[in-house]
Amino acid sequence: MDQDQIKTNPNPQNPQDQGNQQNKSNLVQKIQQLGQTNVPQAPDSNIHVLSIIGQIEGHVQLPPQNKTSKYEHIIPQLIAIEQNPKIEGLIVILNTVGGDVEAGLALSEMIASISKPTVSIVLGGGHSIGVPIAVAADYSYIVPTATMTIHPIRLTGLVIGVPQTFEYLDKMQERVIQFVVTHSDIPEEEFKRLMFAKGNLTRDIGTNIVGKDAVEYGLIDEVGGIEDAMYTINKMIKQKKESGSEVIQ
Amino acid sequence: MILYTPLSETDIFPTSSEIYSNRHCVTYDGKSCFVEKQADGTYQLLQLLSTDPNDFLNENYTPGTILK
Repeated sequence: MDQDQIKTNPNPQNPQDQGNQQNKSNLVQKIQQLGQTNVPQAPDSNIHVLSIIGQIEGHVQLPPQNKTSKYEHIIPQLIAIEQNPKIEGLIVILNTVGGDVEAGLALSEMIASISKPTVSIVLGGGHSIGVPIAVAADYSYIVPTATMTIHPIRLTGLVIGVPQTFEYLDKMQERVIQFVVTHSDIPEEEFKRLMFAKGNLTRDIGTNIVGKDAVEYGLIDEVGGIEDAMYTINKMIKQKKESGSEVIQ
Repeated sequence: MILYTPLSETDIFPTSSEIYSNRHCVTYDGKSCFVEKQADGTYQLLQLLSTDPNDFLNENYTPGTILK
């Protein structure tokens, strides 16, 4: 095989040919990895995107076959977004089944306290602890087919069987309710009614609300997709710049 | 054999700790990456941890890339 190559290629040391060969092997590697050869390049973006996908992982590491959004990965990213002057806005993309309540609440508080404009979009699902994360942004969108499950918090694993455990759970639940109520337009009574409703989730307690219903309940601001989210965040960035320049004057 | 159980699969067949110990979060070229160590000692990129949408257009960070 080597001899054949030498025959067809009289000068194997030619750097161009070597480069070609390396290119080819890179290409083969790329096709094997992703099934595509190249991806387009774009100029720098002033809007960053945080995708919260899969389960929200908190104190317990989940088995590797789970897709998770890790708390310790997301928190530093949010700090970096807040600190970097080149970043003017943040879009949070949610497709989560929920997960650790405390980790989810921590992320929600981080997103809510960022000084830059934030917009969230619920794609697919924003269930359970995904609800506070979705409402934490300054403006929230839900695509028409996305769903959000509202249900009381629950615990798996070893639990100490004392009345205080229930009090602790009740308090944790109250924290979630308070966060959602203060960051969205849904009244507390309505949110609690959805959370403890019977008959909506077969034999479970809670409600699964789809796209438009989430907006009607006041949980999410508007039904829309990426285009609407980009439009809104650009508008918010512009408004922020204008109000900022007025202060200086 | 078929098991009928309300337990999750991982409760019955626990994941080997090797899979956990092979996965690391590293900084490569200034970008945080979640990588897995391959049998030959190289590292394969599992997930790019970035909020910059342009990083995801960079072909050097496509999932599955072998990092040198």
